[in-house]
Amino acid sequence: MPADHPDIRVVLAEDGVLLREGLAGLLTRFGFRTVALAGDARELAAAVAGHAPDLVITDIRMPPTFTDEGLRAAAELRRTYPGLAVVVLSQYVQRAYAADLLDSGDGHGVGYLLKERVGDVEEFVAALRRVAAGGTVVDPQVISQLLRRRRDPLLTLSAREREVLALMAEGHSNAAIARQLVITDAAVGKHVGNILFKLRLPQTDDTNRRVLAVLAYLRNGA
Amino acid sequence: MSRSRARLADAFEAERRRIERDLHDGAQQKLVGLIMKLGLARLDLPAGSPAAEAVAAAHDQAKQLMAELRALIHGIQPQVLADLGLPAALDELTDQSLIPVTVDARLDGRLPGHVENTVYFAAAEALTNIAKHSGATHATVTARLHDGLLILEVTDNGRGGADTGRGTGLTGLADRVAVAGGRMLLSSPPGGPTILRVEAPCPQTTPTSG
Repeated sequence: MPADHPDIRVVLAEDGVLLREGLAGLLTRFGFRTVALAGDARELAAAVAGHAPDLVITDIRMPPTFTDEGLRAAAELRRTYPGLAVVVLSQYVQRAYAADLLDSGDGHGVGYLLKERVGDVEEFVAALRRVAAGGTVVDPQVISQLLRRRRDPLLTLSAREREVLALMAEGHSNAAIARQLVITDAAVGKHVGNILFKLRLPQTDDTNRRVLAVLAYLRNGA
Repeated sequence: MSRSRARLADAFEAERRRIERDLHDGAQQKLVGLIMKLGLARLDLPAGSPAAEAVAAAHDQAKQLMAELRALIHGIQPQVLADLGLPAALDELTDQSLIPVTVDARLDGRLPGHVENTVYFAAAEALTNIAKHSGATHATVTARLHDGLLILEVTDNGRGGADTGRGTGLTGLADRVAVAGGRMLLSSPPGGPTILRVEAPCPQTTPTSG
């Protein structure tokens, strides 16, 4: 695989042995360097302390309570190591959890994805790289939950603008949105401008500032 | 009598959690592994080849199965309820509603598992009924703890005339509430509003043992 990215050093926490090994193999294939594997939150904390990784990938649900210890560990690690990028994987997604994660640190360098997204290999790897670079990635299912909640000014958006808004909120750049919707960059730019105007959000070309503004809007209102 | 009923309700609750846990750690985990393997295989096959198409179809089917399995598990034991408790779960329920719903659940701490489950499924059933039959444009869900009773009220601004005799949803709901030692009251005059009230005995508000 192309080595145009410097190695991203990863600590991977997942209690299922087969899946952990499989994921580690996937990461290696795409040029990530897995520096430590962890099977629970305690091992994760120790591995981060010992290896100072660039990125943590963790399952949300691990021993001993099998509830949300991965998430709590991730939030705690981000308090201890500001700037540590974290991707949390879960077999179901929950906007309350997304909120906890986005509120840890300043929302930069976090990702929250359904676990099976690992099967959309190239997109998954791209999401990991975006988060490692300080971006914010939120699973499409969380975004659709948020979109369903907010009805008022969103109703003024066209169907296409809603599609673009969802992709913006998931953390995609204009270029990536253009590729997914098979439209030109200029068309995306125009939609984005209209959306920000209609929702009275600040116009900005900085993808991550825009992601955070859109997410804040969807969660709390303007 | 009511104590043995509560024990029974707790046993059902424990069983649901066990099934959910088994599915999560077993079937779901293996399915994620399968989806990942198929995803990787797709990358290795020449685009447009018959093998690539077959693997792509298998990959999509596995992802579809994952979505179905997730919905099944959610129906058995919503994870948000187990993890975060009733207010968060009621709030999440409104995401799935076709009409706008206002939730006002002021509860401190966690309630016994069988009470949380009963009240959650009562609210879910009530909202489904409202969306299907009432013609309402808005609904309100409130939950309060009062004198050892958890009181859930689901109100809508629809046409009223709801009847526990018609449609099995409300009858099944009344039965489920009775198993938890509670009762269900329905007021639905023609023209509305409809108020569904569920009262469930709720001895303490300490964290559940899980």
